[in-house]
Amino acid sequence: MERREFLRTTAALGAAVLTFDKLAAVAQAGKLSVESTPDMVAVMGGEPAVMLQRALQEMGGIDKYVKKGQSVVIKPNIGWDKTPNFAANTNPELVGELVKQCLAAGAKKVTVFDHTCDNWQKCYDHSGIEKAVKAAGGTIVPGNDESYYKEVSIPKGVKLKSAKIHQALLDADVWFNMPVLKHHSGANMSIAMKNYMGIVWDRGVFHSNDLQQSIADICTYTKKPALNIVDSYRCMRRNGPQGKTPSDTSVLKGLIVSSDIVAADTAAIAMFNQVEKMEIAKVGHIALGEKLNLGTQKVDKLNVKRIKI
Amino acid sequence: MKKVRVIVASLFFAAMTWVFVDFAGKSPEWMRHAIPHIGSYAAIVVWAVLALLLGRVFCSFICPFGILQDVIGRFVPKKWRKHHYSKPYNWLRYSLLAICAVFLIFGIATPLLALDPYSNFGRIAVNIFRPLVMEGNNGLNWIALKFNNYDFYNITIYTVTTLSFLSALVVLLLVGAMALLRGRLFCNTICPVGSLLGLFSRFSLFRIAIDKSCTKCGLCARACKSECINSKEGTIDASRCVACFNCLGKCKKEKAIHYAPVWGLRVKPAMTASTASAAPAMTTDKGKRSFLLASAAMATTLPLIQGCVKAVAKEIDTTKLTPITPPGSVSLQHFKEKCTACHLCITHCPQQILKPAGFEFGIDYAFKPHLTFYEMAFCNYNCTVCADVCPLHAIVPFQDKDEAGISKEKQTTQIGIAQFDKSLCIVFKENTSCGACSEHCPVQAVRMEPYGDSGLTLPHVYDDLCIGCGGCESICPVRPIKAINILANEVHQRAHAPQEEEVKEVDADALDFGF
Repeated sequence: MERREFLRTTAALGAAVLTFDKLAAVAQAGKLSVESTPDMVAVMGGEPAVMLQRALQEMGGIDKYVKKGQSVVIKPNIGWDKTPNFAANTNPELVGELVKQCLAAGAKKVTVFDHTCDNWQKCYDHSGIEKAVKAAGGTIVPGNDESYYKEVSIPKGVKLKSAKIHQALLDADVWFNMPVLKHHSGANMSIAMKNYMGIVWDRGVFHSNDLQQSIADICTYTKKPALNIVDSYRCMRRNGPQGKTPSDTSVLKGLIVSSDIVAADTAAIAMFNQVEKMEIAKVGHIALGEKLNLGTQKVDKLNVKRIKI
Repeated sequence: MKKVRVIVASLFFAAMTWVFVDFAGKSPEWMRHAIPHIGSYAAIVVWAVLALLLGRVFCSFICPFGILQDVIGRFVPKKWRKHHYSKPYNWLRYSLLAICAVFLIFGIATPLLALDPYSNFGRIAVNIFRPLVMEGNNGLNWIALKFNNYDFYNITIYTVTTLSFLSALVVLLLVGAMALLRGRLFCNTICPVGSLLGLFSRFSLFRIAIDKSCTKCGLCARACKSECINSKEGTIDASRCVACFNCLGKCKKEKAIHYAPVWGLRVKPAMTASTASAAPAMTTDKGKRSFLLASAAMATTLPLIQGCVKAVAKEIDTTKLTPITPPGSVSLQHFKEKCTACHLCITHCPQQILKPAGFEFGIDYAFKPHLTFYEMAFCNYNCTVCADVCPLHAIVPFQDKDEAGISKEKQTTQIGIAQFDKSLCIVFKENTSCGACSEHCPVQAVRMEPYGDSGLTLPHVYDDLCIGCGGCESICPVRPIKAINILANEVHQRAHAPQEEEVKEVDADALDFGF
């Protein structure tokens, strides 16, 4: 147990002496738990917001990641002008819930954006994410113009040595990577690592410069997300990343949360494989990411908390 | 009367300008759909009837180009605003009208494109005013961002070409010069709508006339920007009077000049232009001079235009020799005949993919919009905006929209077909993954199919599914010529709608984690 956490627990206990209610609340928030925070939490069987609440609680509570007065960025996948039943974009309810939690933790500001593939206003609107973010008190900002992006260097990149990244993310104190689980015609799968392509301006460079390697490279950018939150409530099994019709999707009611991006993608593919076959070796960027020390594919070696609701 | 005119005209002008510069789609929907119909063929009938009743009120109250000239005219200091009666250029104005009419009968809108006030105003608003508004927006956005405010958003201007800007500027300068020197000379000499309405207003029920108490002081003629009041003769050329009512308030005798129904006039009005032939030689000379001046100015711009043509000719991609016309425009032939290049669709295309053509597709396609696909911009699958705003039905609106505004007809309108060149493709050349084209295909007409044995996939185009939206072309990373390009359909076709594939029932509650 870290000293800070110990002190906080002690303080909470001290306060709890006064009222039993508070003690119960602290216990519920998992702060009295003596076991260390798991490396990954996977939740299944609930509604998106409920699963997220549970997962964050297991991960040590949102306060562990968002401190008072910090500015937070959430990067969902809002790439396509599709309604939520296509599973082409992150579940809006899930995004809304995270915004709410961050604000409750005292975040100064919660900003959401994506560099969309189709017209950004239509994507923000039809995905339902703009509405969910605004309702939760967050801000959704455009990512449609080069002027929002600033060049940063990617020293650990193999092929990709620099990239233009959205100002909101550069300025943020903490950010969350919030992809949706889906098939992808180019990269074979689009999960947490692939979701990074929405924080950069020039994606053409990725495609013309060894896509799989470039995806792994961008994930080495020094400012890592506090958590990767993979929405697998509804996944797109085929015809990704846009989908032809809603028949391309399946409801899995899943959610995977981890700060290890390689492990999160590996686990998500394992879950995906139960409904549609996809060899992880074909999703080249995952192994390449492991090679760049971004995480591990050996999920069974990690402390994984699995919860069925 | 004049005050009413100024108020009504200001409202129409403001609404029209707003609709034409409204790059962000902020104008009220009814306005966006109603206001452009001022320029539709059906509306001409209304304006003609109105001219028969009240005179050419359209020209002063409604016409955006006319009002623009009035606005420009205001820049002349009051003491210099002196007009004189001049003879009409009947031969010129009626031959221009005849040319437009004959061509229209044969379905060709090109002469109208060059002369009509609605399209000319549109091109000026879209190519000169709109970029100014957009840059203003970007400036505000820049300031707002300093305060962490995201109410504005930055927008790069892609749809103004050098040629479209210069041609609009030339028209603005020429017509502006005419307005400054000779008032409504354009409306009474060149404008086919003005000439047409003049044929009706000659016989209008209400009109302006001078009665016997006139002292021939000439104040009314001096105020007449149509230069149609011959105060010496006491006649007014009703075919050129644009019903601006500027003259009414100028009369020293108050009521020697008035606007009233024909039967209420104290003297029968003299029968218009034919009787007003004895004009002083001085004024006609002046007219000729300014006309020659204008022609000369126009001639000097020709080398400029030729320069632009050369600049455009530099980049040639063989699939781009035929223009890709907007979904709903039926065929190249239909679009060429109907479009007068008002550029309203260019303003409202949320993707900025409609661009005014130069002369690369021939003189009869000049200035008309065509689809261009560049980084991240292609025709949105669900969007029908261009068809919704086109007042001339050059782009025919889709009738089968559901509550969400989705048209199945639009989604299956094939405006072109993607042409894939394997030899240029990244996957083939570099042996690395790409698939950007397939990713952007809304109908899976570009599908990634297994290639080699290292898990790579190569695009394959299914022609019968492709709608030519340009998603694939826009994102293809190959340069300078892309590996996948849309070849236009000269006649739009119907693509097969994407079919539902088998539905896989998954019992989510029985599902395991899988790891």
